[in-house]
Amino acid sequence: MTVFWFLIKEGFRGLARSNYSSAFSIIIITLSIVLLGFGYVAARDTLFLVDHVRAQFDVDIFLHSSATPGEIDAFGKMLAEMNKIQSITYISPDSAAERFKQEFGEDIFDILDYNPLPPSFTIRLKSEFRNLAGIEEISGIVSGISLVDEAKYRKNFLILLEKYQRYTLATVFTVFAFLTLVSVLLISNSIKMTIVARRDVISTMKLVGATNNFIRAPFLIEGTLQGFIGAMFASIFIALVFYFLNNYLQTIISYRAIVSYRFYAGIILFGGALGLTGSTRAIRKFLK
Amino acid sequence: MISFINVDCTFGKKAGIKNVNFTINSGEFVFLTGPSGAGKSTILRLIYMDLFPEKGKVSIRNFDSSTIRSHEIPFLRRRVGMIFQDFNLLQDRDVYENVALSLYVSHYKTREIKNRVYEVLNQVGLGHRVHFYPSELSGGEQQRVAVARAIVKEPVVLLADEPTGNLDPRVSLELINLLNKINQRGTAIIVATHNYALIPRIPNARLFQMEEGEVTKIT
Repeated sequence: MTVFWFLIKEGFRGLARSNYSSAFSIIIITLSIVLLGFGYVAARDTLFLVDHVRAQFDVDIFLHSSATPGEIDAFGKMLAEMNKIQSITYISPDSAAERFKQEFGEDIFDILDYNPLPPSFTIRLKSEFRNLAGIEEISGIVSGISLVDEAKYRKNFLILLEKYQRYTLATVFTVFAFLTLVSVLLISNSIKMTIVARRDVISTMKLVGATNNFIRAPFLIEGTLQGFIGAMFASIFIALVFYFLNNYLQTIISYRAIVSYRFYAGIILFGGALGLTGSTRAIRKFLK
Repeated sequence: MISFINVDCTFGKKAGIKNVNFTINSGEFVFLTGPSGAGKSTILRLIYMDLFPEKGKVSIRNFDSSTIRSHEIPFLRRRVGMIFQDFNLLQDRDVYENVALSLYVSHYKTREIKNRVYEVLNQVGLGHRVHFYPSELSGGEQQRVAVARAIVKEPVVLLADEPTGNLDPRVSLELINLLNKINQRGTAIIVATHNYALIPRIPNARLFQMEEGEVTKIT
């Protein structure tokens, strides 16, 4: 226990002593984590929006007008046996005419004297298949059935949606990787400067019989503390921005950023992990 | 306790030591003398295994230069005390912290560290300087802090590399008297020096004379 507290004290002492390089690292970590935090929330909400839009995606299957009730019934049963489908709604020609009237305000019989609207099914896939590949697969299968005239869905919109989803994920991942790398390198350099400035401590510790782990520990603690402190500043800043956004800008934008305490806990742990990784990298080169 | 058997250790074209053989027993006081570059410091560095022989072997108690692993060296150094010409004190730590460092690395408990540090500082006459920083002490006092740091872990041997190099003659004699007292308690002492005036102060000391990397005379 004595050694544990000694090493913790040494870590804090190192942090206080290397004030300029530590302050620089902390500022960089703060900036990186602020960007990562906002990026995470923006990406999360964008993806949520994409999922929400995609949840509304249905495939309309139009049958030939000549389809008999028996054929329609058999087709409906076949759809019900497909395990990728979540819900099936049958729209008879009469229901379609009614819907036409509701949507366009005119009776189709007043325009054409007959009902040209075919019987159709509207299917919604289970959420895990509600993507371009899943929808294309199902529409391909049903289009091959002679009873089916056409399977329609908003293909171009879905392609666009998935493209933006991929771009968002790729951008977030790239920015995340870049900022993580920059933070680790900067912490690592800061700790290296600290190590160089404290060569006397290291050589004295070696002379009096310190093991490499004993020498290493205070530097790892110092790096981790830098990470924690930077992440705490970042959390405070992000919380203030969200508070301002949610309380004062609601009249201008309808967006509301909602994050839980777990988000802030995650940020702080991530900061500590950044610091630990950076300092591990730095000390490894000095204590082979 | 310490033996050198046919030890060669050179640094490229620079001098080192050649075919050195000797044995030092527990509780002995030894002076290593000779001009600069004779190999005195090399012998000390071989003892605390900062250097390893190219030929032959160095043994200190159960530690053998030919078989020791790098992770075992700290355990050897906990049994060997060292002092240097330039004291090697940590300037940003007070006397107590400088001395206690030796015990922290050896995983002593807080109470024992405190007791031992105060006891050893009283032994070296620095009980009144516990919370002074090195910059607030004279050269002689700084060297006594270094001695305290070296002996606080009760080493089997204390190595002193030109310990009086930065001290005036009066303080040098005080230091050698202190080393003599430590020796009388059973710790072997090896002093590398070219301050020949110190040698008569320890009548029972053995004298290893060195020249160009060889031990030319042992008396």
